[in-house]
Amino acid sequence: MTVTAPASPMEPVEAARPPILQLDRVTKRFGGLLAVNSVSFAVAPGEIVSMIGPNGAGKTTAFNMVTGLYPTTAGAILFNGQSVVGLPPHRIAKLGITRTFQNIRLFSFVTALDNVMVGEHCKMHENIFQSMFKTPHSRREERDVELRALASLREFGLERYADSYARNLPYGLQRRLEIARALASGPSLLLLDEPAAGLNSQEKVELMQIISDLRAKGLTIFLIEHDMRVVMEISDRIVVLDHGELIAQGLPVEVRNNPRVIEAYLGSGAAAQAERGPQATA
Amino acid sequence: MPEPTGDGLAVTDTAAPATEDPRADDDLAPPDELPVTASEAAREESSGGFTALVIAGLVFIVAGWLLPWFVEQTSNGIGYSAQDAVSSPPTGIGTIVVYLIAVAMVGLVAFALYDLVRGIAHRGRPLRWWRGRAALAILGAVGTLVVWLLIGVLREEPLFGNISSLAATDNAVWMTLTGFVVLALAYGLRPWVVTHGEVAFGGVVFMIGALMPFIFNQSSSFIEWGASAAAIYTLLALGLNIVVGFAGLLDLGYAAFFAIGAYTCGSLASPVHGLHFPFWIVIFIGLAVAALFGAVLGAPTLRLRGDYLAIVTLGFGEIIPDAANNNLFNATGGPEGITGIDHPSIFGFNFGIDAKFYFWSLLIIIAIVLVLLRNIQRSRLGRAWAAIREDEVAAAATGVNPVTTKLLAFSIGASISGLAGAFFGAELGSVTPDSFQFAVSVTVLSTVVLGGLGNNTGVAAGGILVSFIIFWMLDHLQEWMGTFGLKFGLPALGTIDYSRWVYIVYGAILVGIMLLRPAGLLPSRARKSELQAGGQTEALAVVQGRV
Repeated sequence: MTVTAPASPMEPVEAARPPILQLDRVTKRFGGLLAVNSVSFAVAPGEIVSMIGPNGAGKTTAFNMVTGLYPTTAGAILFNGQSVVGLPPHRIAKLGITRTFQNIRLFSFVTALDNVMVGEHCKMHENIFQSMFKTPHSRREERDVELRALASLREFGLERYADSYARNLPYGLQRRLEIARALASGPSLLLLDEPAAGLNSQEKVELMQIISDLRAKGLTIFLIEHDMRVVMEISDRIVVLDHGELIAQGLPVEVRNNPRVIEAYLGSGAAAQAERGPQATA
Repeated sequence: MPEPTGDGLAVTDTAAPATEDPRADDDLAPPDELPVTASEAAREESSGGFTALVIAGLVFIVAGWLLPWFVEQTSNGIGYSAQDAVSSPPTGIGTIVVYLIAVAMVGLVAFALYDLVRGIAHRGRPLRWWRGRAALAILGAVGTLVVWLLIGVLREEPLFGNISSLAATDNAVWMTLTGFVVLALAYGLRPWVVTHGEVAFGGVVFMIGALMPFIFNQSSSFIEWGASAAAIYTLLALGLNIVVGFAGLLDLGYAAFFAIGAYTCGSLASPVHGLHFPFWIVIFIGLAVAALFGAVLGAPTLRLRGDYLAIVTLGFGEIIPDAANNNLFNATGGPEGITGIDHPSIFGFNFGIDAKFYFWSLLIIIAIVLVLLRNIQRSRLGRAWAAIREDEVAAAATGVNPVTTKLLAFSIGASISGLAGAFFGAELGSVTPDSFQFAVSVTVLSTVVLGGLGNNTGVAAGGILVSFIIFWMLDHLQEWMGTFGLKFGLPALGTIDYSRWVYIVYGAILVGIMLLRPAGLLPSRARKSELQAGGQTEALAVVQGRV
């Protein structure tokens, strides 16, 4: 094994390493609605962390605050120790946090290749005059970006769709293309908002493979997911939100047996039953 | 640890069609309607370029053949009529030559028509005997020249007998000749044309454009229209297309930048302020000032989208001509505007009021603008515009800065308008506020939409078509309908006062074109499939389980 080898998924996450993402008492209020209420947790580098919770728990809102799409009402969000609160989304993307969306938001009438190439926008240097006159520098950069984008499409099994419009891709491949686009700028933290939604079981297996491959390359992944099979299988840790509050976090086994989590998902009766005998519900 | 490769992620061949199947089954979107791979799309586009060239060649040949007849019909007694042909049949040795040439010409036209029909039926199939067709085209061109010389020497039309006047003959010969040359180029360079359809078509269009002053040397109104309306409107439409078509920002005040360019030119090269900068510097200053104002307008509208943005731009479009009309800062001359603007000159040669030189200059500028825009469209910025147009939130989260991207769209769009404005001012020699009213913005916008939102070629075609309708057809409507009515036994047509009807006719034409070509004359690929998909989106979403 070489010195530069990426962290193996087998290695335990070192507690001493500073977190790549840290939320500290983050709050979001929409008028009278408290969507996210003083939520604090951290994601360590190289981890796969899932955020779960019933619909309306504030998961996507939290994602939107991390990526700068919503301003926070209160609290701090630190990425690699640097505050990202108040930064515009494109600056946060350039810093190294990119994301996918719950309802796929590809550039519909743009080719799959160009979708991925847009992902590299913030890493490119050519300015408008260089593009206008196709200077050697601009040509070289364009070619490099195009080659990288094609390689990425190939990696995701999308090369035969390179010149198709994103909206003409089958649904499952659109989800993949969105991940390819998010990866194009070389982020260190990838946020996936319900990546398995709408996928069939075969596609879910492929998705889990993609996610663990990405982690093997050293990427940190923070995802929202409802499919418990996916969540339990790939997550190193799970954080649970309900009504905007963090109700539990920990290893998948711990969260699975946490009475508050069961209550949030199944109601108080089920939680009581689970308290009497957790094995009975499992 | 094994290196993670694409193998685990690769799509199996059965997976992709399986997910597409529901669409095919329900006849929602026939999958073969849309090109799937790059090579397929390229082939389709190129074969389109070749087809367009053949059509252009045929149109010119047929138009050249019909022109003398048309002139005879519209301006009493010039040219020849079918009766002359019957009364004095052709004689002599020259006639045999001419007949042979005529057979070749007609043969070529027949071949070209056949190719078109066949090409539409079997897209992308190889064409044999293209060299033979090219030879026929060259023969046709030579033949046209021979016939022309015979007419000139013998003062008689060898095919159709005596002609009473040679008025339209030169124009007709130029047109036919152009048509044959285009066909000769299209067929002779077919392998190259098929792979470089866009470039070939563009080149031929500009070649024909540059020859226009010769082709229509007997019609001064044509070239005046070409220089002052068609070229200017095309340039304006190209600029607005950046804002509306590429970046998806609706701009209803585009005439403001046109005004800014024209007034900049008027201020810097006229006796008003005693400044006489050389024109070729003035156009760049006009461009820069308009770009600056583009950014100034863009800044407050960054948070607005769609209808709301349109209203703000509308306001800006009202402010600028109004400020000029009220002689704000005593710089614009009020309602009378600025007069006595210097005409451009190059190497000591003054353009004066000869529209030809403006036309040629504008052609060169349009060509440069098209090439630069094409480069931008296929660059980092062009992709960013498309991303902003499609989904601003996703674009921002992907790392595109919406602020600079939008401001650049406004600025570059405005700069082209400023350039057109500077040319407009210098050509007319005067600028007045009423040249920049809301109607100009609307006309340019309708040109862009009608031509094909987001497609420069389509937008340029729209510019030519719309300016032709407004500045030529509507002007001559009375005359044309009068002769048409007389010739076809409907004299009542000539008694209508068409001046009351012109804008009804104009509106009806616009409505008609948009009904026939909902995505514009030459839609961009994105726009075309958007419209094809439009009605299917919801059903498709249901099928794909997205609702």
